[in-house]
Amino acid sequence: MRHVLIDDASSDQALMAAFVDRDERAAGLLYDRFASRVYGLGIVMLGNDHAAQDLVQDTFVKLWRTAARFDPERGRLETWILLTARSLAIDLLRRRVLESRSLQELGPPPVHDPSPGPDDLAATADLAGRARRAMAKLSNEQRSALELAYFGGRTTAEVAALEGIPQGTAKTRIHAALLKLRAEMAREVGDDV
Amino acid sequence: MTCEEVRELLPEQLLGSLDETTDARVRQHIRGCAECRAERLRLEDGVAALSYATHEAVPPAELRDHVLGVLDEEWSTSEETVAPAGPKVARMPASRWIAAVAAALLVVSVAWGAVQTRHAQQTSADARSYQALLATLGGREFRLGELHPMGGVGVTGTVLLYDGVGRWNSWGIVLARSDADLTDARVMLVGPNGISKELPPLRFSDGEASSWLVTHEALTGYDELVIVARGGTVLANARISEA
Repeated sequence: MRHVLIDDASSDQALMAAFVDRDERAAGLLYDRFASRVYGLGIVMLGNDHAAQDLVQDTFVKLWRTAARFDPERGRLETWILLTARSLAIDLLRRRVLESRSLQELGPPPVHDPSPGPDDLAATADLAGRARRAMAKLSNEQRSALELAYFGGRTTAEVAALEGIPQGTAKTRIHAALLKLRAEMAREVGDDV
Repeated sequence: MTCEEVRELLPEQLLGSLDETTDARVRQHIRGCAECRAERLRLEDGVAALSYATHEAVPPAELRDHVLGVLDEEWSTSEETVAPAGPKVARMPASRWIAAVAAALLVVSVAWGAVQTRHAQQTSADARSYQALLATLGGREFRLGELHPMGGVGVTGTVLLYDGVGRWNSWGIVLARSDADLTDARVMLVGPNGISKELPPLRFSDGEASSWLVTHEALTGYDELVIVARGGTVLANARISEA
């Protein structure tokens, strides 16, 4: 069984090449794969549906404008898109000077259509459930450091200052948190780590 | 850098919080180290898991058509003018912009005595045609980069490099815009092996500035441009690739 977290690098490169060539189907495929997480990121970081929808639009426009520069040697397409969206959200937050939000205060992201979806949506929901179980395996310290770095755009020095820990400890917690998430996800599907 | 040093920096490199110089050094190490590349991929798996766990949400159904419609509009207008986020600036298509700048800088090259007058006059006349210009210059490709703001300051712009062949000089030009209260900033070309070359500083006036150089030195080893404030803060960077 294919590991759900591994993207097909060659097909992603072909997909982006088609997107550069203004292929509507490629644009649709990109949207279907990534819009839900970009939208969810907007809900979590920006706090409302309108801003989250704007984030989706801004992210895909930026993807188009920078698509020719996607280099699989630098990392996966999935990571590039998620971090592009995150960067846009962080820029907006800094402009707004909003208070940082705790994930515990927000709770799970809202879903607009509670009715059962197609098979691919069910598969994604299953993946999200497994990912949340993996997230629950993190220590509070690991989760807090990772949230500050990922959602807050903080450097490890800033995380260390905010948490009152040495910078090396901050680095270790973030690194360990990401690897633990990966390991827990792999364990759930029965793959070797 | 050692593998141990790089692996300690990988999460920050992945999340984009390293300074430009350190980021370039980490990427340079990764290009030549399979084990560190594998570690980075494992961390990317972690980011993917984090995204599914914390921000997976179904957007409104109508958003799909809206976003695809915006992209369609972007595609149909990208050959004319494009309004980027931030300062509103109309852009010429890359080929016409390159030809216009190349024609202007060829005059500079003549003043430096780097080319024969006859070739310069011929090339100026051909400058409207990008392909004709390349053929005249011996087929060397122009390289172009777009400045992306960092740190919230909002410096944007474009960098153009050309690597001369034989008697032709190499040259570079940086055109920058900023809506922040900047007076000047340092400009540096950076290469993957840690080499760097500083251009004349940007001196902003009414939010615009430029910097350029003409040199006998080859610029092929540089693939990034970094704009740095006097205090050392990175204001913008551009990855330079063939136009």
